[in-house]
Amino acid sequence: MSVPELVTVSVDGREVQVPKGTGLVETALAAGIEIPVFCYEPRLGPAIGACRMCLVEVEGMPPKPQAACTLTAQDGMVVKTALTSQLARNAQNATLEFILVNHPLDCPVCDKGGECPLQDLTFRFGPGRTRMTFPKRTFDKPIPISPTISLDRERCILCYRCTRFSESVAEDGELVAVNRGAQSMIATFEDEPYRGRFSGNVTELCPVGALLPTTYRFEARPWEIQTVPTVCGLCPVGCNVNVTTREGKVKRVLSRNHPDVDGGWICDKGRFAFGHLGARDRIVDPLRRQRRRGLQPAGWDEAVDEAERLLRAAQGRIVTALSGSETVEQAYGLAKLMRTGLGAHTAVLPEEISDAVDGFRLPLSAIAGAELIVVVGDDPVEERAPIVDLWLRAARRNGAEVVTTGVGGGAKACRQLAGEDDELGRRLRESDRPVLIWSGSGGAGGAHVAACAERLGFGSKPDSGVFYLPLTPNGRGVVEAWSAASDDEGPDPDPIGLLFVSGDEAASDPSVRSLAERADAVIATTMFQGSAVGWADLVLPGTSYLERDGTFVNLEGRLQRLRRAVVPPTPDELAWISQLAGRFGVEVSPYPSVVFGELSERIFGGLPYGEVGERAALRGREPTGELRAPAPAATPKGRGLRLVRYRPLFSGAAVERVPELAFQRPAAEVQLSPQDARRLRIKAGDEVDVRSNGTSRRLRARIDKGLVAGVARIADEHAEELQATVEVARA
Amino acid sequence: MPQPLDTVKGFGVTFKQIFKKPITQEYPEVKRPVYPRFRGRHRLWRFENGLEKCVGCSLCAAACPADCIRVVAAENTPDNRISAGERYARIYEINMSRCIFCGYCELACPFDAITLGNEYEISEYARDDQIYTKDMLLAPPIKRTPVADAELYDTPIPYYKEHA
Ligand code: SF4
Ligand code: SF4
Ligand code: SF4
Ligand code: SF4
Ligand code: FES
Repeated sequence: MSVPELVTVSVDGREVQVPKGTGLVETALAAGIEIPVFCYEPRLGPAIGACRMCLVEVEGMPPKPQAACTLTAQDGMVVKTALTSQLARNAQNATLEFILVNHPLDCPVCDKGGECPLQDLTFRFGPGRTRMTFPKRTFDKPIPISPTISLDRERCILCYRCTRFSESVAEDGELVAVNRGAQSMIATFEDEPYRGRFSGNVTELCPVGALLPTTYRFEARPWEIQTVPTVCGLCPVGCNVNVTTREGKVKRVLSRNHPDVDGGWICDKGRFAFGHLGARDRIVDPLRRQRRRGLQPAGWDEAVDEAERLLRAAQGRIVTALSGSETVEQAYGLAKLMRTGLGAHTAVLPEEISDAVDGFRLPLSAIAGAELIVVVGDDPVEERAPIVDLWLRAARRNGAEVVTTGVGGGAKACRQLAGEDDELGRRLRESDRPVLIWSGSGGAGGAHVAACAERLGFGSKPDSGVFYLPLTPNGRGVVEAWSAASDDEGPDPDPIGLLFVSGDEAASDPSVRSLAERADAVIATTMFQGSAVGWADLVLPGTSYLERDGTFVNLEGRLQRLRRAVVPPTPDELAWISQLAGRFGVEVSPYPSVVFGELSERIFGGLPYGEVGERAALRGREPTGELRAPAPAATPKGRGLRLVRYRPLFSGAAVERVPELAFQRPAAEVQLSPQDARRLRIKAGDEVDVRSNGTSRRLRARIDKGLVAGVARIADEHAEELQATVEVARA
Repeated sequence: MPQPLDTVKGFGVTFKQIFKKPITQEYPEVKRPVYPRFRGRHRLWRFENGLEKCVGCSLCAAACPADCIRVVAAENTPDNRISAGERYARIYEINMSRCIFCGYCELACPFDAITLGNEYEISEYARDDQIYTKDMLLAPPIKRTPVADAELYDTPIPYYKEHA
């Protein structure tokens, strides 16, 4: 990389040196001078100069105020801000007076009050009083533009941050500005609800109280809240978030910009799903099955006694099913109890993750600078790891090419890519900054892409990268922790004496359910009644990621700190794991910091708990030995289309319990490729019957250009009992 | 050195007081009027049409140096209209045992919804009873404190002057 040329700029008489091309707002900041802004936000693309708050005087330019946000530092530039220039001061005063002409000034009832840039800048820069005494323009308000966001058009100052986000970051184009002049206003396209995976970000971007989350409406004031920096635990991205709490309750989730992970955006699941903490069917007391009376609430002492009895009775014939949403510490504590205390080494792990991808590790933000990106697999990236999709969009805007391949057979596609005469493979080989992303189904994906990358010569290119998108938020950490607890192996128990189900995701997994049918007894730890109450013999209440302390490993392999935002209504998992482990002579501390200290020695190179950090760093590349891809699983043959199921982003135990997110749940659709649709004479929006021996579902057809022929993609919750091959016909 | 005469003189002064009218008052039988601008127990106000003036903005809570106000807001609906705008205070509590009667809440309120009254007899047997709820604050105080006539005097006439 070339060293950028430095230029000298004088701001209010202070000289600063900044790299050429730095924005004037940042340049002034480097000189310790603030230029107030509303519309300027570099993450939204080029500045548009809409609000005129940033007016300054620049010597040598036409003698009128210039919008600083649209200028960049040039050598010898002499800038005067409102601090020293009367011209700039008058201009800023006038701007604020104009902005407030139609502003309702309902700060006392506005949720932005107290953390509102308009309030702050008016207080610090404005003239203090207005000369406009005529009635203000009014609109109907507030308008719910979606169940999660409300719009107050009177408060809008038309900075266009929201529409720019919608247009050039999320690229959904759903928020638009309509009408002209004083009647211009923000609206959703065709007045449809704003349905998008990232819509909530506009509530953080809006510099006034025009776009606000409905879930935070009238809930708290900035001086009444606490902020806890933690990470989101709902998908493998692990966005950094700030959790706002008031009086011991979570009130909202905000992004906490980690430039390498999330770039300051979070998805609507991470933002709005916190409502599940107070779900009606949340379990707060242990439940114990009693003869003829079913599950009955029990005290904690009784529950731990019962758990001990069940564990002893199983005599080591125990299977542990993990969710991938446990913290690393919990998984390690549980693994230690099961493996060293009870000799039960069999586990149903949330994923099969190969260490091999760590040899091609890159921060997520590097995707934006890549040249050629190949996504391998069936699952839409945005359903699995939504922020990765934003990075892909950024890459596309930066001129990269993004290719999706291997829908319906990721492993095969990897082999083909690595082959000698594959066109795409050749271009990957030639590119300086290629990226491979696995978003396929089936285990061992990591090994497939890593082997492919190795054969494509990624090893010698430091700017190349491989990402494996896991299905679960902390699947990587859980798998590492489980294997770190012991080196011993044991035979799979048959018959199963006890099935230990950890977490709601594991409890709702059909394969875990079928294991439960074969087990003599089942212990489950779940947050919600719905998950395991029907079939477990002992249910221990679980906690949510917002209620835990510990660490998570995200899809890059970045170790991040989870902090407890609110106290759970029950003792957390580590507390009773530690108690239970004590009964079997195993020492597990109830404190995550101590547990981490123990396991850090083994898997995280002795990193101290305190140094995981608020903006966690990424470990370097860890090349592993020779890579060999496992044989791809056989693709089922049969007439008709092959069913590809995917787990939608807005699904799962937490989302189901948040009524505001119901509108985001996947529609009852079947996605078809254009070729198949043409062949079957199906048009987009048609009602179709999807059949596979014996079962049938009535769904709506959607044509997806990214899909290959021969495949029908259906969200998990709508596919239900359908088999691997299906027939699709117009209803 | 003994000074018998002075000692007797001294006792004489004490003795004379016994027959004078005392200037201390028998509280609570006799209540001294307070200054009209005396700051005592708070009062929340309604408009004439019955709607509450308070919109639950929490600005009073922000201004309060003793941190003794708790406001939890909620949204007005057509069937449950409590205040004039979009928002009202669902819970409004003042912990009187922490309040220092500085009057900052009154200054901060953008709607003149809260004022400090003259009532100062607010001792209770239990600390819990010191937490005044919205209903208590909206109602006029039960006990009445005599207030000096603001028209005639800016300040109440001290008792000892009246009875000198
Ligand atoms: S709604 Fe907010 S972000 Fe959008 S233009 Fe108006 S003020 Fe700007
Ligand atoms: S993208 Fe994933 S980690 Fe980020 S907020 Fe959404 S669910 Fe949470
Ligand atoms: S009078 Fe002062 S201390 Fe008492 S509630 Fe008001 S602001 Fe708080
Ligand atoms: S009393 Fe006044 S300042 Fe306090 S919440 Fe009500 S309206 Fe706001
Ligand atoms: S910040 Fe420069 S015009 Fe808005």
